[in-house]
Amino acid sequence: MDAIAPLMPGVDFAYDEVTNLHELIEELRGHGPVVPVKYLGSPVWLILDHALLDRAFNDLEHFDPGDGYRIISSPSMGRTLQVMAGEEHRVSRAAVSALFLPLKVRSYVEALIEPIAHELMDRIAGQREVEFVQGFARPFPFTVITRLLGIPVSDEALLLEWAVKLIDFPWDPEGALRAKAGFDAYMQGILDDRRRRPNGDFVSMLADAEFEGRKLDDDRIMGFFRLLFPAGSDTTYKNAGSLFACVLGDPAIREMARGSDKDREKIVAEGLRWQAPTALLPRMSTGDTMLGGVHIKKGEWLLFGITAANSDPKVFPEPRKFDPSRDNRALISFGRGPHFCLGMHLARRELETALRVVLERYPDIRLTPGKTVEYVGGVLRGPRELWVQPYGAA
Amino acid sequence: MRINFIDETGVHHTFDGVAGDTVMRCATEHAVAGIIGECGGAMACATCHGYLAEPWFSMLPPPSTQEREMLSGCIGLKANSRLTCQIQLEDRLDGITVEVPNSQV
Repeated sequence: MDAIAPLMPGVDFAYDEVTNLHELIEELRGHGPVVPVKYLGSPVWLILDHALLDRAFNDLEHFDPGDGYRIISSPSMGRTLQVMAGEEHRVSRAAVSALFLPLKVRSYVEALIEPIAHELMDRIAGQREVEFVQGFARPFPFTVITRLLGIPVSDEALLLEWAVKLIDFPWDPEGALRAKAGFDAYMQGILDDRRRRPNGDFVSMLADAEFEGRKLDDDRIMGFFRLLFPAGSDTTYKNAGSLFACVLGDPAIREMARGSDKDREKIVAEGLRWQAPTALLPRMSTGDTMLGGVHIKKGEWLLFGITAANSDPKVFPEPRKFDPSRDNRALISFGRGPHFCLGMHLARRELETALRVVLERYPDIRLTPGKTVEYVGGVLRGPRELWVQPYGAA
Repeated sequence: MRINFIDETGVHHTFDGVAGDTVMRCATEHAVAGIIGECGGAMACATCHGYLAEPWFSMLPPPSTQEREMLSGCIGLKANSRLTCQIQLEDRLDGITVEVPNSQV
């Protein structure tokens, strides 16, 4: 791979903001379905084509996510579902999946998701202008997780600090390991308590979860707790920012968002496609293979071009048009195959509930005129800032 | 072989199915509303739930433990519920009829 020169050598998809990511992708598409680009200073393969990405997600012989995650995240994240494979993955995932299935997630909407959305809306009452990413999009999914885990409100800031640091291992190994120690000691206390006095909450159910007669040990449960934050909070908040930018920026879509649950489901699906929060997903190949006419060697790194596949014109006509009426079944934002995002239903219900509650509470909310929205990030992507006026022009 | 889908309004849609394909794949290829199959058939998303009519329901091999676990979290579970990604088409299932639920979520 080192011998292969990346296209667009002036762009590093890890370090640069790539505000024009979708334009770059369209240009790269002209060079083939799998192209070399620069990431963390080195050449990697970027998969742009929807069918090939679908194949790669399902090809665990050549693209098992475990090897890559063991390098970039295991020291601080521990034994998460991302590094498990085969039987261990199947059993561990099945044990926790009941907590994330449609029926269960529906019950979270009224009990958990809606009250948090209202709470955050209360906080912006009376303000003429609000930065919506920090004011709502970011704390919303984070708080859903801390409340699911039974963490008292007074400790939420502490948890945020640890959660941000846990995934920082490649850049700050010592800081990440310190965060792990703090997080583990804290969460072990909650887990021990629920083992002694189960109260039917999420942690109690997790402690008791079993599949085919096997329960999860503490090591796996702690790995699961750690994974919840980067997997469920960072992704959802990025997408919530993009979603509201699109909805508030277009009167017709905004009107549709005030309609039925089905309308909001369509808008959220289109938001997930149009600006996937995990835009490019790094992965290390686990075996030599040919993909899209290029030879990928074992140990080489790739970027799974989720946002590129979501804009593949062969699958989504006029892909850069935000059109909630399109058929979004081929959406690939949550991956494919056995490692498909466990929190997909939770993420969607959070985003749909956010749309409903925000527009109920602030019917005149609008983007602040004159402030442009810039989407940033090659891996995790969303608007840098989103300035809104909750009371409109008033 | 033929495969029938009954949508939420009661309208029947009939297609030619290919032996070896899954019911879910047939539904998504023909854009049958209400069957999503977002994970691609790995029993990881629970968005391809459907109700299987008789006699076909009884002709199918029973669901695996994993499929049963996933079904238990689906909306509107009935005795003839299945994940359609787990049903492989074969010639003896000619005429198989699947009712699509009102909502997967």
